[in-house]
Amino acid sequence: MVLSALIWLPILGAVLTALMPSAKGAKATAIATLSAVVGLTLWVSRQFLLTEGGFQFREALDWLPNLGVNYTLGLDGMSLPLVGLNGLICWLLVFAQNASAGRSRLLMVLLLLTCGGVNGAFLATNAMLFVIFYELELIPLYLLIAVWGSAKKEYAATKFLIFTAVSGILILAAVLALGWLSGGEQPVFDYVQLRQQALPLPLQRILLLALLIGFGIKAPLVPLHTWLPDTYVESSSTVAMFLGGVLAKLGSYGILRFAMPLFPEAWAELSPWLALWAGVGILYGAFAAIAQKDIKRMVAYSSIGHMSYILLAAASGTALSLVGAIAQMVSHGLVLALLFYLVGLIEQKTGSRELDVLNGLLNPIRGYPTTSALLILGGMASAGIPGMVGFAAEFLIFQGSFSAYPLPTLMAIAGTGLTAVYFVILLNRTCFGKLDNNLYYPKISGLESIPSLVLAVFIVVLGLQPALLLRWSESTAQSYGSAAFLPPPVIALHPISHD
Amino acid sequence: MLHALLDTLWLVPIYSLVGAALSLVWVPSITRRTGPRPAGYVNILMTLVSFLHGLGALGVVWGRSPVLWEVEWFRVADLAFTIPVEISTLTVGAIVLITGLNLLAQVYAVGYMEMDWGWARFYALLSFFESGMCALVLCGSLFFSYVILEVLTLGTYLLVGVWYNQALVVTGARDAFLTKRAGDLILLMGVVALLPLAGTWDFNALSLWASSGTADPTALAWVGLALLAGPVGKCAQFPLHLWLDEAMESPLPSSVLRLSVVVATGAWVLIRLLPLLDASPVVQSVAIAIGAATALGASLIAIAQIDVKRILSYTVSAYMGLVFVAVATRNQEAALLLVLTHALAIALVVMAAGSIISNCITQDITQLGGLLLRRPITAFTMAVGIAGLVGVPPLGTAWVFQELVSQLWYGQRGLAILVLVVNALTAWSMARLFWLVFGGAPKQMTLRSPEPIWLMVVPMMVLAGVVLHVPHLLWQWQLVQDWAVLGQHSGIAVMVSSFLGLGLGTLWFRRSRTGEPFVPWLLPLQNFFAYDFYTVKLYRYSIVWIVDRFSRLVDWGDRFVIDGIGNFFGVATLFSGESIKYTTFGQLQFYVLTIIGGILLLFLLVAS
Repeated sequence: MVLSALIWLPILGAVLTALMPSAKGAKATAIATLSAVVGLTLWVSRQFLLTEGGFQFREALDWLPNLGVNYTLGLDGMSLPLVGLNGLICWLLVFAQNASAGRSRLLMVLLLLTCGGVNGAFLATNAMLFVIFYELELIPLYLLIAVWGSAKKEYAATKFLIFTAVSGILILAAVLALGWLSGGEQPVFDYVQLRQQALPLPLQRILLLALLIGFGIKAPLVPLHTWLPDTYVESSSTVAMFLGGVLAKLGSYGILRFAMPLFPEAWAELSPWLALWAGVGILYGAFAAIAQKDIKRMVAYSSIGHMSYILLAAASGTALSLVGAIAQMVSHGLVLALLFYLVGLIEQKTGSRELDVLNGLLNPIRGYPTTSALLILGGMASAGIPGMVGFAAEFLIFQGSFSAYPLPTLMAIAGTGLTAVYFVILLNRTCFGKLDNNLYYPKISGLESIPSLVLAVFIVVLGLQPALLLRWSESTAQSYGSAAFLPPPVIALHPISHD
Repeated sequence: MLHALLDTLWLVPIYSLVGAALSLVWVPSITRRTGPRPAGYVNILMTLVSFLHGLGALGVVWGRSPVLWEVEWFRVADLAFTIPVEISTLTVGAIVLITGLNLLAQVYAVGYMEMDWGWARFYALLSFFESGMCALVLCGSLFFSYVILEVLTLGTYLLVGVWYNQALVVTGARDAFLTKRAGDLILLMGVVALLPLAGTWDFNALSLWASSGTADPTALAWVGLALLAGPVGKCAQFPLHLWLDEAMESPLPSSVLRLSVVVATGAWVLIRLLPLLDASPVVQSVAIAIGAATALGASLIAIAQIDVKRILSYTVSAYMGLVFVAVATRNQEAALLLVLTHALAIALVVMAAGSIISNCITQDITQLGGLLLRRPITAFTMAVGIAGLVGVPPLGTAWVFQELVSQLWYGQRGLAILVLVVNALTAWSMARLFWLVFGGAPKQMTLRSPEPIWLMVVPMMVLAGVVLHVPHLLWQWQLVQDWAVLGQHSGIAVMVSSFLGLGLGTLWFRRSRTGEPFVPWLLPLQNFFAYDFYTVKLYRYSIVWIVDRFSRLVDWGDRFVIDGIGNFFGVATLFSGESIKYTTFGQLQFYVLTIIGGILLLFLLVAS
């Protein structure tokens, strides 16, 4: 029942939030709901068996057994970190809401609905159930973009809707085909059964391609990313944090969960090209980011490159790279949420996010020293500087992929260098430099800094001790990782004295 | 159980890290109440603790065989990230050097940065560097060495950027970060590529692996070249040398640390990697070529500079080039010794230069002069530093150069001559520096120039004492056993090269009071050196241009081509819908005709 609670609690909370008489009460309800979700996730992680690679806490209810569509849930090392990420980011987003602002109640309701839907997608072990949740969260999300965005919000929201709808249709088609063409009397959508069946190679190729394009739009992967810059930039920073921090993970999760393991032969055949695609995507995202003049757009482009690391890891499919890929999803979520939060804060206070306008925000008296310091931290975490969570994830991906695909891995490493280039451009222009003597920006209160501080603490703590993040997914990754990464035996050292 | 001081040696990097963390308390609102100074005092105290701990441990570890520990960081999917800790006379000695120099630099900074507001950031970063370097010398793993070097690259960005509201500082910080990061990332490629080959990152195991001969020579060469890039970036060697010069925009006390020990982190890693480089002749020759080119080129560039800090930064590049040569020719003892003597001497020269800059305002040596009698202490300390830096017997570097020359003379005579030439050029350059600052008549900037506050003078004097005692230490440590070697040909050659450089420089610059070239037609050549071989322009018109143009091209393609395709479909849909809506005539026959046509088309498609 606990997994169902993770899905339905936020949805119930959304209803309660909508019904609360006062604005403050609505926010308190939303926070209480999400605190319960986070607490539940913590409890689940306490009970979670680290040595077990398969699904745990399984729940099964017959729904439409004739169609093979059943309400079956399960949690494994791939979904647990993402459920935790979802809960944390949603909690911070609601915490940061100003309860008295107009329509903030609607925002929180929609956030809670999406939170539940996303958890459903992460926890579903029935492919059709996954598709249903995957499609359902689209509706509140469309509203989130269309209502709270900036000038071109309708354009952005519609573009997002069309792209995501195409993604949804492709995935739906692929999943339907997967279920119906399994050869049995009844369609099969149960994930565990799907993994055991063997499809003919030509069929695998077609379905894999459909899934890759479908999830590739969501993640997004180059060249299916064109909805991303517009959507991220035009939506409010709250929505951008949610989109980039959590929603994009549905795409990469789909690739790791469905595209990679369900079509092993076609995947093996295609993976050299996928690795190359990932390498190109990483460099493409980085180069495109360097040319941006708008800091929010720059951060948005940074996301494109970083999602491609996950494709690289999936293409090489070693246990090591898959642990890295799961960690990369969490790390990217934390870092991107932090960056979008800070950029949003800066835009809100200074009224600009142009590189040519902002300057000298590190100024201790009239600038934003804490915010700037956190921006430096976020940028450097994104560039993969050790000591922060991004490095641990990326390094595992590099090490896990190098033996299989050396060239794309080297491209990816070069990509982290280019990431450093555009973040240095961003930091040099916004944080460094001289703040104009006549400029007096409004202060950022301590309360407003809390969400960014919390994210920063996660980024640093998980960077200093990556085992806290990696241990959840190790067994699962090993059960997925086709080719185990085994370095040759270490040459015997001279005796070591242990004290 | 060894000894309490050794068992707890891992605390040494932690002390300064705690100091750095405590500085975070001094946010602007608290600084307004207490002033910025307490943050500095906290860090000085922590560094003092580190230094005393290191000094005590050095006494204990002396003469013992190295102790190895292993600490597991984490283990994932059959890959263990284990930190091998190595405690030996060498590593503890390095810790004493690092913490000692940082202690002096921090005390010096109390005087130098008297009026500054950003103490908390500055001292925190100095401590951060100290901590990183102490961790680097203790850890015996290539992976963790990479991690530390990379983190220190971030530290360099922040430390150079301490005075972030000046334009040159901002570009300097950027270039330092990106140049070092380029080197680091190539090093990372090597680190990643090495594991599947060797199965380990432990330096000791790597040396066994490299010498076992099981490695594929081509792979080894590629990996070796990649690994070389890290030290090349850190030690400011060609072609990644530009950053050190620009990093001189940071506050001077941080330059004391950077020029003496931070650049040497690259040399340290290079020395640890020696067995690996040794196994590949290609890598070895590349290392020698880079080192030799930098040593010669940078010492020539140094002579053409008029900025004190630039003169010193290029001199450091040149000396690190000599360290590269020494390592690549398997003279690692000489290399380590050169790192030591160079660190002490250059730190002293930088401090003396800072003592001039702090109250003469300018660091342009053509505007200085006539300070010999006004600033006797500074003049004395700088003279001692210079003597320690170039091979003036009996001070430290003379022994190192003697050793190097005698080792290289039979076999690689060209390199032996290179060492002598670089020494002579540096001696000339240092004589030029000394006499342009202290000789001649006072100029406008030097008319009123007292010795600085005791907080700066005392560290200088202490360090001068240390530099003067280096020969004694070498004797004590039995690194030098026979005074007579200075009388050998190699010793005499070093002595001659030093005194030739110093003497000619003195003769020339005591008279010539300007920065003009010797003869007018040499001006282009002088400019060639003064502008650092036009490396800045070279970069601007090559790599920077390419990245800039390419990124704009990608951005253009992204906006108009890739996004354009999506928008085209949108527009096409709208347009076709708009045009088709005019076909609704209400004539049933026409609709039936359309349907039949469609069915026929489908039928044809299926049939084919």
